[in-house]
Amino acid sequence: MTIDWWTLGLQTVNAAILIWLLARFLFRPVSEIIAKRQALAHADLDAAEAAKQAAEAEREAAVAARAEISARRAALLDAAQADAEREKARLKEQAQAEIAEDRRRAEAAQARAEADRRKELDEQAGYLAADIAERLLRRLPDAARTVGFIDGLVVAVSELPAAVRDRLGSDGPVPVRAARMLLPEERATLEARLAEALGRTLTLEIREDPELIAGLELDATNAIVRNHFRADLSRITAELTRHD
Amino acid sequence: MQSPLEHVVLFHVGPVPISEPVVVTWLIMAGLGLFAFLSARKLAILPSRTQTVLELFVTVLDDQIRETMRRDPAPFRPLIGTLLLFVLFANWMSLIPGIEPPTAHIETDAALALWVFVATIAFGISGRGLRGYLDTFVEPSWVMMPLNLIEQITRTFSLIIRLFGNVMSGVFVVGIVLSLAGLFVPIPLMALELLTGAVQAYIFAILATVFIGAAAGESEEIPLTAKESE
Repeated sequence: MTIDWWTLGLQTVNAAILIWLLARFLFRPVSEIIAKRQALAHADLDAAEAAKQAAEAEREAAVAARAEISARRAALLDAAQADAEREKARLKEQAQAEIAEDRRRAEAAQARAEADRRKELDEQAGYLAADIAERLLRRLPDAARTVGFIDGLVVAVSELPAAVRDRLGSDGPVPVRAARMLLPEERATLEARLAEALGRTLTLEIREDPELIAGLELDATNAIVRNHFRADLSRITAELTRHD
Repeated sequence: MQSPLEHVVLFHVGPVPISEPVVVTWLIMAGLGLFAFLSARKLAILPSRTQTVLELFVTVLDDQIRETMRRDPAPFRPLIGTLLLFVLFANWMSLIPGIEPPTAHIETDAALALWVFVATIAFGISGRGLRGYLDTFVEPSWVMMPLNLIEQITRTFSLIIRLFGNVMSGVFVVGIVLSLAGLFVPIPLMALELLTGAVQAYIFAILATVFIGAAAGESEEIPLTAKESE
């Protein structure tokens, strides 16, 4: 066995050339494409991670926004609740005021009705009292229905102004109405007392008027002097039915 | 039967005799180079089936170098990968009738081992520095320096002899059985030669890796494997 040095040398060169060839056309391009793919994969992973981070940030922002919306909604609900409470209170106060006003009006109307009723009752009572008094007074004795009123009539005549007193009876007999026709002595007493009060004698024209119930009324042209129960009852009735 | 120990000179280029192993080596170089050139032109991010196989080969080769050397595989990839591919296809050339594997001739194995020897020294100096590399010869003590020097030579020769012996013996056995038993009897042996050739290619490449890695030393920063980097 011998070693062919030419073959050894050529194979050495061949090996070197083959190493260069495969390094140039096989290992370098393949390793570069692997590295490139890995770089792209890493870039994709980085992009995915960035997208994930962005999505996470957006999710957190969405959560924050949702919380803010919830808080705003709660605030709006609270505000609406407060507004509703205020409106409710206002409406309640308004209703209470209206109710109070209606009650006041109703009470006023009731008071007016009560007053009207009372007025009506007072009038009816007045009329009833006058009617009762009239009925009772009609039961007085005849003498009491005229004689007792002479003095009052004379006093009233004497209290008339002097000019009025002087003109009494100047134009004829003075009409006098009596609850019943005066007896002669009662007429004489009346004339005498009038003459005493006036200082002169009056001619009287006496006529009966049962409407007077009891008492006398002097009906001169320039003066009327009343002293009878009819006038008193009319005055009392007017007082009773007067509403100031 | 022609002995694989003999050299058949096919032609001369001037004074240079061109033997059969050189021509077969050129054929292998042409085939591998053409395949690499054509494949490299079609590389894309979305790989074809061929590109996938190439990338798988490169990835496995890188993992093997990384796990053995504990260093970045890029500087060693062309040498180790070329040794693996060339020895593999050279061994498998025995399947072609009338062609002997170049690795069945000791000159081819010696040429490959010579490059491993040179690479061991070169990567040892670049990895450790000249002083650091020379210090490896006196480890664990200066007494061991002669043995370490002899080891550099003997292990290179072991590379040569191992590959040469295995391939040459396979060629011999197949040739003897073929001459004695007929056409189809050596087929199982030839199938076994396929396995033997692949195993020898792997052994040659992995031993070269170990020798270079031991000379270069481990990197302080252990690179990640491809799986770990994912």
